Amino acid sequence: MALVNPDFVNEVKRTEEFNASACMNCGVCSAVCPMGLELLPRKLFRYVLLGLEDKVLANTETIYSCLLCKMCEANCPAQVHIAENVRFLRYYINKKVFKL
Amino acid sequence: MSDRRIGVYICHCGGNISDYVDVEAVRQAVEVEPGVVVAKTAMFTCSDATQQEMIEDIREQNLDGLVVASCSPKLHLFTFREVAKRAGLNPYRYTQVNVREQCSWTHTDDRAGATEKAVRLVRAGVARTALTEPLEPIVIDTVPKVLVVGAGIAGLRAAIGLADLGISVLLAEKSAAPGGWVAGFNKMYPHDRTGRLLIKQLVDKVKRRENITLFTDAELVAKSGSIGNFQVKIRVNGQKTEEISTNVGSIIVATGFDGYHPRDGEYGYGIDGVVTLPEYKEILDNAGDKMLFNGKEIKNVVYIYCVGSRQQTGENPHRYCSRYCCNAGVHAAVESAEKDPQVNQYHLFRDMRTYGKFELLYGRAREKGSVFLKFDDNEPPVVEKGPDGRLKVTVKDLLTYGEQVEIPADVVVLVTGMMPRENSALVDILKLPVGRDGFFNEIHPKLRPVETVVDGVFICGACQGPKNSAESVASALAAVTQSASILKKGFVELEPLIAVIDPKKCKLCDVCSKSCPYSAIEQEHYQGKTVARVNEAVCKGCGGCAPLCPDNAIDLKGYTDAQMESMIDAMLKEIG
Repeated sequence: MALVNPDFVNEVKRTEEFNASACMNCGVCSAVCPMGLELLPRKLFRYVLLGLEDKVLANTETIYSCLLCKMCEANCPAQVHIAENVRFLRYYINKKVFKL
Repeated sequence: MSDRRIGVYICHCGGNISDYVDVEAVRQAVEVEPGVVVAKTAMFTCSDATQQEMIEDIREQNLDGLVVASCSPKLHLFTFREVAKRAGLNPYRYTQVNVREQCSWTHTDDRAGATEKAVRLVRAGVARTALTEPLEPIVIDTVPKVLVVGAGIAGLRAAIGLADLGISVLLAEKSAAPGGWVAGFNKMYPHDRTGRLLIKQLVDKVKRRENITLFTDAELVAKSGSIGNFQVKIRVNGQKTEEISTNVGSIIVATGFDGYHPRDGEYGYGIDGVVTLPEYKEILDNAGDKMLFNGKEIKNVVYIYCVGSRQQTGENPHRYCSRYCCNAGVHAAVESAEKDPQVNQYHLFRDMRTYGKFELLYGRAREKGSVFLKFDDNEPPVVEKGPDGRLKVTVKDLLTYGEQVEIPADVVVLVTGMMPRENSALVDILKLPVGRDGFFNEIHPKLRPVETVVDGVFICGACQGPKNSAESVASALAAVTQSASILKKGFVELEPLIAVIDPKKCKLCDVCSKSCPYSAIEQEHYQGKTVARVNEAVCKGCGGCAPLCPDNAIDLKGYTDAQMESMIDAMLKEIG
């Protein structure tokens, strides 16, 4: 059982640029990902939206594997700023986990 | 031998009939029937050319009866009645025989059998036609006045529409004030005007129209008569109760719906903090800067959708979708976020159905931070009070790959659906058709959406099924048009194929009136005795009374005992 944390998304979301909620779970992003990152980005965004911080942190490796190539973003039918969102997450993890 | 002059036309229907029925053999078999003077086959009897040929035959051969053996009367009865009419032949001397649905389409494995059956059916049609009499439609003068039952948004709008067409309106509202549900609504999508204001505008318009009389605290207690001229009695409960009797030409029922009331324990209903959507809207509408519940600020809201709608199990489940609730839930979320941008909102849904332009509202809710979680019907969310006294909702979220999540909540909003309103007295008085779901039924969901099987009684708004206010108003105006189309003409024409009672034979045993599903049998005086009489305007010609009469005093015009017997004899020819 994962506890929903409403504050988490607000910590990650530093500007209105962060728009994970627009994701409609279609899976185009996963399909076109050149890294074959199965997790990214649709699953990740659900975890962020629900504030499942543990789930997000458990995938730190994957989050840093992203090339930020924006292949997913160019193909996203819902105009989710995927690469930008990943950057937000890295920023958060840098602060919180790596204390940078 | 019959002295009738009957024309028989047998249709190939392209090949729909003639591929399996030997139409030429049928023609030869029936051309020798008594009374038949013309017997022809045609590729398509419904074609203009064949219709014209029939008209010429009727005129030249002086025909006094017409039989077309083709498809179902549902398709072409009126087509060929019109042919008869155009040729100067009384349309009720026409008989349609269905050799397509009943012979060729049914017996594709037995051509000989299909042909023989067609012969027998056409013979029966000829026999019936030989005994037809010219009949005239029943003409009823209409009263240019309408009773509208229910003064919610649909009833009010219908009343104004009728009044502006020059038709007087009697508007009867059961509660103390007009306006119904919408009168209690705050801002509405998409124009943001309040329901209160909409209703106030409508009531003002009603008041300005002299030909609308609005009664509140009023109910319909009796109705008699028929389309075009109903006698209605309305009881008005004021300081002293009074009854008003008047005549109206048609009746529009706009009695609305009831909100679903969750059972105790349904999604935690009964626990402090678990509220229905209307209850939550009240909190929202009365909130100042912050939304409060029991004096505590509301920070987390969990919505659960489809409560009381799309039920699959239980006693008398509401299987239908209530249509309005997804939109209303999402709208409440947008309003909440506008009131307090910090509020966290979680929507637990089975399927979101923010159809049409409401999709934009859905998008807006999402942009304002609402999170949507999808649950499986078989694994509904569980609402409990945690040890800390706080509400918690656990749900398996299909959009997060079946992750079990627990959401802390200050209020849980059950997005409740619509229910048919309990109206058994009105149903009884108007003989309204009630569907299996408890809402009133129209004749045809697409083509005759506001008419009921009771001629002159129309339905509109949410009494017919879940509708939002815009859809209710649209159906109200449809009911206005249908009412006006009867009343503006000044008269209605009804089918004369109805029951008649021979007063000489009637002994008034009352068996017939008890059997009539339309209350069409009245009493009259005839040569010093009281006898039963059929109200022509109310009788539907179902024939239910005729075989019950112990004195054989009842006959059904167009389907008399003599006709039925002659048809049976004709079908059994060569056998009997």
